Order: sequence, then C-alpha cells, then structure tokens
Amino acid sequence: MLDAFSRAVVSADASTSTVSDISALKAFVASGNRRLDAVNAIASNASCMVSDAVAGMICENQGLIQAGGNCYPNRRMAACLRDAEIILRYVTYALLAGDASALDDRCLNGLKETYAALGVPTTSTVRAVQIMKAQAAAHIQDNPSESFAGAKLRKMGSIVVEDRCASLVAEASSYFDRVISALS
Amino acid sequence: MKSVVTTVIASADAAGRFPSTSDLESVQGSIQRAGARLEAAEKLAANLDNVAKEAYDACIKKYSYLNNSGEANSTDTFKAKCARDIKHYLRLVQYCLVVGGTGPLDEWGIAGQREVYRALGLPTAPYVEALSFARNRGCAPRDMSAQALTEYNALLDYAINSLS
Repeated sequence: MLDAFSRAVVSADASTSTVSDISALKAFVASGNRRLDAVNAIASNASCMVSDAVAGMICENQGLIQAGGNCYPNRRMAACLRDAEIILRYVTYALLAGDASALDDRCLNGLKETYAALGVPTTSTVRAVQIMKAQAAAHIQDNPSESFAGAKLRKMGSIVVEDRCASLVAEASSYFDRVISALS
Repeated sequence: MKSVVTTVIASADAAGRFPSTSDLESVQGSIQRAGARLEAAEKLAANLDNVAKEAYDACIKKYSYLNNSGEANSTDTFKAKCARDIKHYLRLVQYCLVVGGTGPLDEWGIAGQREVYRALGLPTAPYVEALSFARNRGCAPRDMSAQALTEYNALLDYAINSLS
C-alpha cells in the first residue's frame, strides 16, 4: 500500500533518480487540512450515505426487493448494505492517502469476479456507487442538496473556501469512477 | 511502503472502520512536520552529486589503503562503484525524507546489507566514515533550515547505525 509520498519515491526509484517533483508534494502538504476535512466529512456521514445510496438504487429498480430479487430477503439486503459501506470505506482510505493503491489492492482486485460468481447485478451496484459519488461530492463541498435532503439536511459547518475544495471533489470522484470501471 | 498514512490506514482496515478522529490527528501531525522534511529533500536532491563526492573523498582519504592493488578502490571501475554506493545511500536518505519514515532505507538499503558486504569482502568502516562526514558537513542556515537539517541528520545517523 502506498500514499502520495511513497508513490513518488517508488517511481523515482524505478529510474534510480532522486524525487524531483517536490512541488506537487508541497501542494499536498499545503492542502492537508482540507483533505482531512474531506475525509472527515465522508466518515461522519458514512452510514447515511450508504443507506441512502442503497435505498435510491432500490427505488429505481423495485424488482430488487421482490421475491427472487437480489436484495430479498433481509439477509441479502444486509449483505448489500455491508458491501456499499466497504466500498465507501476503501474510497475514503484512498482519499486520505492521496493514492488509489489501498482501494485497488484491498477492494477492487477480484471484486468483479466475486460479484459475477455470486450473481450480484453489476448495473445496480454501479448505480449505488454513482449515488455515493454524488453524495461524497456534496459532503466535501459541504453543499448538500436541500431539495433531496429535506428535513434531514445536514451540514458539517466547517469553514468553506472559495472553490469549495474542487480538486478534492475531483480526486474523490476519480476514486468512485475507478470502482465503477473495475465493476463494469 | 510504511509511512504514517499507510500505517493508519492498515490499522483502520484491520478493524474495519472508517478513519477516526485520532487517525486524522496522526496524519495531521505527520503533515505538520512535512515542510521541513521536503525542504531537506529538495536541497539534498539539488546537491546530491557534490555531497556524495565529498563524502567519498573523505572516506578514501581516511582509509587510503583502499587504493592499494587488490583493494576495493584500486581500479577505475571500483572507484566508480564506491562513489555510486555512497550516492545510493544518500538517495535512499532523500526518499526517507520524502516519505517521512525509514521505510526506503529499511527495505532497499539495510535489508540484506550485511550479507552482501560479507559476500563481496567489503569493509563497512569506510561507508561509516563517508556517511559520518556527510552527517557533520551540513550546516544551518547555510545549507538548509535548522529543522530540516535535524531531519536529514537523523536519517544519516540511522544509516550509520545500521552499518556499525
């Protein structure tokens, strides 16, 4: 498992040279607190994000909870919620490290084959991950949708900077996209 | 590669939980010290060849018998290899400064070190002398800030201890 720093070291070692692009790492350090806030925003809202994503997936495809569906009975629904939480957790690790290797090695490697063997429908899984991607962006920006959240609207209330952490939103989205492309 | 962030993630993963507040605190502690480390890494990378050359010259000066026929610094090829070895250690020190831990030195420098030098019949004392020279050569604020120099010297000490 690597982070942004050890990734730079491993690629420099491949050419027996010193790490030359220090400025990128300095930028990582300079925006360190924003990154930690972003990780905290996801971790603090994780159970809400997971249940919303799975509920949204089922709303769009009611067949999942009818007899014979993949989220029926409760036992399989519970497995689905657990898996969504696991995927979100590894995305959070990747965001904390600033590198996708924890996500790749520990979560995505072999996931597609496992789901194929267990008969888990890819399209539904991808839909749940897409919903979590949108939620993560909203929570990192601390800008959740009032029309969707209604009375359950919840803000972190941390100091929001001008660009609303656009680079971190993009980075988190890229990790969700990684999950989506690994599954499809 | 072991660093503060990967250690935090590994233990959070073993417990199956999201990064907790204390996990984030440890990462923040590492980030706070990163400025000095990256400064040292930047300055060392810019001067790596000179630092290595001076350290190499110092150790050959002290152990001049190495230039005798049949010894480790006797031919041009051997001389180039000795200088390269010193440069390798300094490069690994630079990696450690970037990562913020001793992972690169441990994995790529120290593991198997003793066995290799024994098999090749190389003395370790000259390496110690070269790294010690580099250890005492750095000067704040001429070369880098005091905090950066502390981080740099600590890693050289670590490499010296592994050889002695």
